[in-house]
Amino acid sequence: MRTLFSDVPRASLTAFYWAFILYLLLPLTLMMAMSFKDANFVAFPIGEWTFDWYVKVMQDKQFLEACLYSIMIAAATTFAATTLGVWIAMLIVAEGIRGQVIIFALACLPAVVPGMISAISLRIFISTIDMPTGTAAIILGHTVHAVPFVVVMALTRLRSMPGNLVDAARDLGADSVVAFFRVTLPYLGPALVGGMIFCVLLSIDDFVRTFFLGGYRPTLPMLIFAKVQGGMSPEINAMATLVLVVTAAVGLYAEFLTRRARTR
Amino acid sequence: MVSSNTTAGYGALREAPVPKYSTGIAKVVNSPLYRHTLGAAVESRIGRILLLAGVPMIWLMMLHVGPIYQMLKISLLSHYPVQPGVESRFTLDNYAIFFRESIYFTPLIKSFIFATAATAATLVVVYPVAYYVAKVVKPQGRSRALLLLLVPFWAGELIRTFSVIMLLANRGAVNVLLREIGFIDRPIPMLYTSFSLGFGLVYLICLYMLLPLYSAIEKIPSPLLDAAADLGAGPFTRFRRIILPLSRDGIVSGCCLVFLTCIGVFATPMLLGGPNTVLFPETISGFFHGASDKWPVGAAFALIMLVTALTAAAIFMRLVGGRKRRAI
Repeated sequence: MRTLFSDVPRASLTAFYWAFILYLLLPLTLMMAMSFKDANFVAFPIGEWTFDWYVKVMQDKQFLEACLYSIMIAAATTFAATTLGVWIAMLIVAEGIRGQVIIFALACLPAVVPGMISAISLRIFISTIDMPTGTAAIILGHTVHAVPFVVVMALTRLRSMPGNLVDAARDLGADSVVAFFRVTLPYLGPALVGGMIFCVLLSIDDFVRTFFLGGYRPTLPMLIFAKVQGGMSPEINAMATLVLVVTAAVGLYAEFLTRRARTR
Repeated sequence: MVSSNTTAGYGALREAPVPKYSTGIAKVVNSPLYRHTLGAAVESRIGRILLLAGVPMIWLMMLHVGPIYQMLKISLLSHYPVQPGVESRFTLDNYAIFFRESIYFTPLIKSFIFATAATAATLVVVYPVAYYVAKVVKPQGRSRALLLLLVPFWAGELIRTFSVIMLLANRGAVNVLLREIGFIDRPIPMLYTSFSLGFGLVYLICLYMLLPLYSAIEKIPSPLLDAAADLGAGPFTRFRRIILPLSRDGIVSGCCLVFLTCIGVFATPMLLGGPNTVLFPETISGFFHGASDKWPVGAAFALIMLVTALTAAAIFMRLVGGRKRRAI
């Protein structure tokens, strides 16, 4: 009686979990399936299947340019955000510096401010320093967005680092800079790579900051947004599917890396 | 300099030097350029602190605080960007406009109702899932169960929003399925309504709820639950007396995260919402794009939204009584 009674919630929870997975995956699956539809409008049932939309997308100059532009911005953002994030994290864990709580709060500020407001404040900021909208402004905005995440990831790893590693390096004659590059940075290694990939995904995914800070060159989300507003077509589905497959693969790899970093 | 010596000494004991550690950094460190600049700087305490704190502090002050400060400043000006011949003076008018006209504060109220409803819905939907993964699944299967939940979130905001359209459109999967069964004759208009917007929002943000809840529930010791069961507490009592209070931290941080994200969501209402679902971000955006270029008003509105959103989150934190100190 008791086992029967306690198994009912268990079974219903299991069912709920799988229903939730279905809820998460169904729209994306439908979106991908629609990219194979052999007609130039979006509607179920799919009917004839075709690969033509992919061929068309791969020849679409606008799409390829947007891809390159997004990747370029993501690379610059990742480099800047990782450097700054690690630097800030080093400052927070350093001994003999006061006000670490305040520094940490400041570092996390962009993560608390809603995306829309962050975008507007940056738009105002770049106009007060006479910076034009465009590539540099986008990179700046994305970097501000990504830094808090790098800080938190680097901090978690730094806190698990035995303090005597750096002391040993000092005893052997390394100055602070050398100790950082030879001991701390390699120790951060795997966690940092995971954080960097996260930065790439954040940057490629970002819409609202790019919307306010961008110029006339569209990034990937801007292009997809413009196309969706312009009218539905399976071509957008093919584009989105390609982006989805690539980002999911990258995300999976990042997950694998951080997991390995945690268990090592 | 010293470091390369030790490497050489260590190498001499073995047969070959260890080239892996004596290149690159050692070369840089031994170069006169380094020794006269960075190398000299880190010799002194002041130099070390400057090197450590300089760039981060400038960055934090300039780009984490700076934009918010500039927004505050501009929201108090009568004209911006300043045109020649027009003098910009200090004013509180931009804030007054908000309270004067209902077309401005209705969207904010709508935004709040939407965000609150979406947060509550997300909590109710995600809680059982988080509980299942944290307590029902065996430890070795947990990361796989969690990973399956994470996969859709690498798709990105826009693509996920777009995929919701596939499901809810007039000729989308749900309507076509219902018609095939013979349940309806005409498609139910679901897209571009509050329903599609809410559905899309929950779909978009449930991960932010899942992770805090999961980590909070996972920390609840299972023996506690067994003990309660042995003492005769049924599943409902165990949930109400043990699981719910002990997962409060996760509920608070998950709800705050979801609420703040929902408030600031911009692309989703534009794609999934209709004319009846104009939310505050769209209103604000109108002051920066389009014909009526009124930056100070937009800045004032953005600040009103930021302050009310953060206040609401803080009140919620206080009421439910989450963690006292934010974990560093």
